[in-house]
Amino acid sequence: MSSPNTKANPAFYAVIALLVFMSVGPVILMFMNSFKLDVDIISGTSGLIFLPTIQNYEKALCDVLWYEPDHVDFCSLKFGGAFVNSLIIALVSTILTLVIGCMAAYALVRFRFMGRDTVSLTTLMVRMVPPAVLLVPVFGLWNNEFCLDRDGLVGGAIREAFGGRGDVCLAGTHSGIILIYVAMNLPFVIWILQSFIVQVPRSLEEAARVDGAGPFQVFFKVVLPLIKPGLAAAAIFTFRIAWNEYLLASALSDRDTKTVPILIVNNMSEFNVEWGVIMATGMLLAIPPIIFTLFASRQIITGMTAGAVKG
Amino acid sequence: MPTIRLENLVKRYGNVEVLHGINLEMADNEFTVLVGPSGCGKSTTLRMIAGLEDVSDGEIFVDDKPVSHLEPKQRDLAMVFQDYALYPHMNVAQNISFALRLAKRPKSEINAKVREVADMVGLTDFLARKPGALSGGQRQRVAMARALAKDSGIFLFDEPLSNLDAKLRGQMRAELALMSQRVEKNMIYVTHDQIEAMTLADRIVVMHGGHIQQQGTPEELFKKPVNKFVAGFMGMPPMNFLDGEIHDRAGAIHVVGEGFDILLEGEKAATAKAHSAKDVTLGIRPSDLRFEENANPEQSLQLDVQVSEYVGAQSVLLCRCGPARVMVEVNSESPVALGQSLTFAVNSAGVHLFDRKNENAL
Repeated sequence: MSSPNTKANPAFYAVIALLVFMSVGPVILMFMNSFKLDVDIISGTSGLIFLPTIQNYEKALCDVLWYEPDHVDFCSLKFGGAFVNSLIIALVSTILTLVIGCMAAYALVRFRFMGRDTVSLTTLMVRMVPPAVLLVPVFGLWNNEFCLDRDGLVGGAIREAFGGRGDVCLAGTHSGIILIYVAMNLPFVIWILQSFIVQVPRSLEEAARVDGAGPFQVFFKVVLPLIKPGLAAAAIFTFRIAWNEYLLASALSDRDTKTVPILIVNNMSEFNVEWGVIMATGMLLAIPPIIFTLFASRQIITGMTAGAVKG
Repeated sequence: MPTIRLENLVKRYGNVEVLHGINLEMADNEFTVLVGPSGCGKSTTLRMIAGLEDVSDGEIFVDDKPVSHLEPKQRDLAMVFQDYALYPHMNVAQNISFALRLAKRPKSEINAKVREVADMVGLTDFLARKPGALSGGQRQRVAMARALAKDSGIFLFDEPLSNLDAKLRGQMRAELALMSQRVEKNMIYVTHDQIEAMTLADRIVVMHGGHIQQQGTPEELFKKPVNKFVAGFMGMPPMNFLDGEIHDRAGAIHVVGEGFDILLEGEKAATAKAHSAKDVTLGIRPSDLRFEENANPEQSLQLDVQVSEYVGAQSVLLCRCGPARVMVEVNSESPVALGQSLTFAVNSAGVHLFDRKNENAL
């Protein structure tokens, strides 16, 4: 970048073009195929000449549409419900992760306690465990250990009120999925935020203490506003993982709590793969993270602490 | 306004003791300056008064009430930090009013106070700006205004001017002096710059190695330093030190060393005569040496001029006298050439004597 020669080099543009093609290509393919009938998709003819249709979207959104499309005989996909589930799970787990993460990171950076450095280093190791390894033990625990007994007080009351099996387990609830997402994302968020908190000058906190702020006021009024860029980056990261996650959600959700990625797979059966609907749902799935990222990335401004102290 | 008293204040970091029992009293409305080289414990003392450092031993009394167990916010003090420590996400007005907003004062009162203080330090036009958009001097003023707005009785400064360039520092120093006359507060000011200390202080406390060396008015410290350290620290250019011996020649007391032989007069002679040890260090400030060709050899030094530093009306000559280096301040018009050996008359009132072993003044 530093020398003007780099700009003129055609290889540079070729590499960029390749990278753009690799990242945007699948999205364009998905976008176009979502407006095609399945026959057009599979036919293998040139993808550019086709009659656009919104049938796929009508089918994907059949439970939220105010009219009944002619070509849909039975609305099997509950996109609306799954979308709400996805939103609840992704947003709540993001918020929880950030709240716990920023406090933990602050403690790890500023407080002196035994084993601080060890904790700080090992948090990231949790992140290295693949979700597939977590799946089996978590599935077992959520189904068998974390349940309210049907004979117990709360479980009994729930059975009285709602009927059903009676014992309420973490598996199949929003909380169950949120909990595992928070656990999965926390180490990385703590790791990111630590590096942001280290950059907040200590004298700022001291100034706030002299100005009459208690420990919590120092944290919320001085430290937190200054690590906003870090929080935004962590939020984007956490939200996208929670939104896209498939493996754990497929095992831990039930009919009423399934998320959109799980719903997409319902379009595949042994008889038929409905590519059009899959693509249409994929397009819809991509919209919320884009909006979220646009909003959150506005907070990422470098040089937040400029002017705080004389460097 | 409150009085502050430090009693046997000790600070330890692990096994290392950095402050060894500081005893100090700061009276009403006094501008006290703690001065010393870096690492002497002056900032630590200030931070202990502020409550930002724990007290390892001893006690701090404010108005005779012990405060060392209190949080900073309970101590009724304001502080200006060396690096300003402005809240970068707040504009100037919010920075100044932060303490008042935390104290949940009514809005009208806060606004009035912000205007008053901003007017005082000349920031009225910048209230809506963020610290990032201010110059160094303006940031310094914001830091000052923030402390002033708090209206507390004790005002602490931790080397507030050390980050400014020389010209601005001089200007802010004058403004600080003006401000200290206007606001009636008990001010404690930490600096390593003895000029700041001399110009601002009602009382200077010189610290070195975790001990108080001497305290007193600037004049006392300049004229009657208790030991070699204080003598060398106060005054610019620093005092010259020449090692010598006391010789009693039939009642006339001389200090004799390599390249000089000076007759002591009056009181100085009497104290030198009464002193048991013979090895002394002679201290003479550069301003107490005067270029005089035909000076009495018993009242003068023979110096080899090596370097001349021209600073305008004055020139500072770096000279040699035997093994010792001697600095002399002379009028720039004086006909001095490098490499010359010249005679400088010694102002007999400006002669200081120190014991060479314990470095205390005789």
